[in-house]
Amino acid sequence: METLTVIREFLHDRLEVDPAAIQPETTLEELKIDSLLLVELIFECEEKFSVIFERDVPTPKNIGELITIVDTFIAEARTAKQG
Amino acid sequence: MTARRVAVTGLGVVSPAGLDARSMFGRLLDGESFVRLHTIDQPPRPITQPAIHCADFNADAAIGRPLASSTDRSVQMALAACFEAWKDAGLERSPVTGAGNPEHGVSWGSALGSTTTWERGYKEMWQNGRDRLPPLSVVLGMSNAAASHISIQLGLGNASLTYVAACASAAAAIGEGYKRIRNGEATLMVTGGSDVPLAYAVMKAWDALRVVALGDEDSAPGCCRPFHPGRSGLVLGEGAATLILEEWEHARARGATILAELVGYGTCSDHSHLVRPDRDGQVRAMRLALDDAGLSPDDVDYVNAHGTATIEGDAIEVDSLRTLFGARAAEVPVSATKSMHGHLMGAAGAIEALSTVLALHRDALPPTANLDTIDPACQGVRHIIGGALRNSGARVALSNSFAFGGCNAVLAFRKAEAH
Repeated sequence: METLTVIREFLHDRLEVDPAAIQPETTLEELKIDSLLLVELIFECEEKFSVIFERDVPTPKNIGELITIVDTFIAEARTAKQG
Repeated sequence: MTARRVAVTGLGVVSPAGLDARSMFGRLLDGESFVRLHTIDQPPRPITQPAIHCADFNADAAIGRPLASSTDRSVQMALAACFEAWKDAGLERSPVTGAGNPEHGVSWGSALGSTTTWERGYKEMWQNGRDRLPPLSVVLGMSNAAASHISIQLGLGNASLTYVAACASAAAAIGEGYKRIRNGEATLMVTGGSDVPLAYAVMKAWDALRVVALGDEDSAPGCCRPFHPGRSGLVLGEGAATLILEEWEHARARGATILAELVGYGTCSDHSHLVRPDRDGQVRAMRLALDDAGLSPDDVDYVNAHGTATIEGDAIEVDSLRTLFGARAAEVPVSATKSMHGHLMGAAGAIEALSTVLALHRDALPPTANLDTIDPACQGVRHIIGGALRNSGARVALSNSFAFGGCNAVLAFRKAEAH
């Protein structure tokens, strides 16, 4: 499953946001994602991809940045697991 | 300084009879019990008890999916009751902007807090072997979650306080909110309580205490029998109830319908035993409420009793009423509406205060259901049985809440009258 799909499903369930309205350039502010919801979203990604992010997650401006951060952290976590 | 008067201008409820307080009250007047057999099918074995379960409560519909998905069931019910009461008071909800009214606050009661959130967490860890919990668990589970959400959603910038006093939680919350208005610290307070005791471990714990009424599918609606010689205990109930309290002139100025006046509040501790009620403490709390209202026992026309249907509790409460009213006791109408809407724990005082307000407003006093024979130990007051007592002309009523831990809280209401 792609990270964007996970984000879309989560926000659709929680905020009833139309998945099509969630694009890489959509800002977190537009989606009304506050710090609490961001922590939940990160947790959801960890659960869905069966990883745990070991370091603090920087605050992204938009969904595209969030996807980059999550994908980077997933790769790091999987590398650490293999190592 | 003359104490300011406090009007009740809006009501909301979450019960098996829905969200509309008047419609629920109409069914109480008919003596209808909402009690049904309820099962929670969890390991190690299912538990089944007569209970009040709001099976039709739809949190998404009542408060919207975004809020419903980030709150415990008890908070969902609290918000639903408050939204309903806010609307009932003729107040408009603005979008949540962070701009609150510093004159408006919330005073909320909960005995148990977010039971289902914590239970789910324990289950995930100890039963399902998970070592992580969702990050929202802390804010979902905190005991003041209901008051916090109410404050945010309704823009209440005054006090946001939660009172935890077992079965007297909501009565204390209403009383403390009333004091803030009366003393000039607020003009409007959203007051009430919410609780969801229908969690597996909570039901098990009450079962162990041997004070829960027993029954099967057929007998469940009639199993809660306050003041009856065969009474066997209380019925756990989930739900919420809200009263909007408002400074009298503020309510009049905006053309609000005043349903009743909250004129007195008395609270005290039995300071004697953890669970055994105490007549002297109860009498003292009722006298404090009446003194606060500038009234005497002779002015009281109706008592909504705590009446949990426990063997000891009902007899002691009637003894307290006999002591308070003296020779007049046999004339004072008394009923225990818990026989129908169950024991809502931290919300009990609110649903009973709401029922008391409507009883005065409609001049119709609800009965104690399932009461065809009165226990000799509970005689000496005028039990309302066999249907509502209508057109009694009741002007002043007490709503009693006597909690485990010895906390007593009594509210005195007066029929809305300009004077």
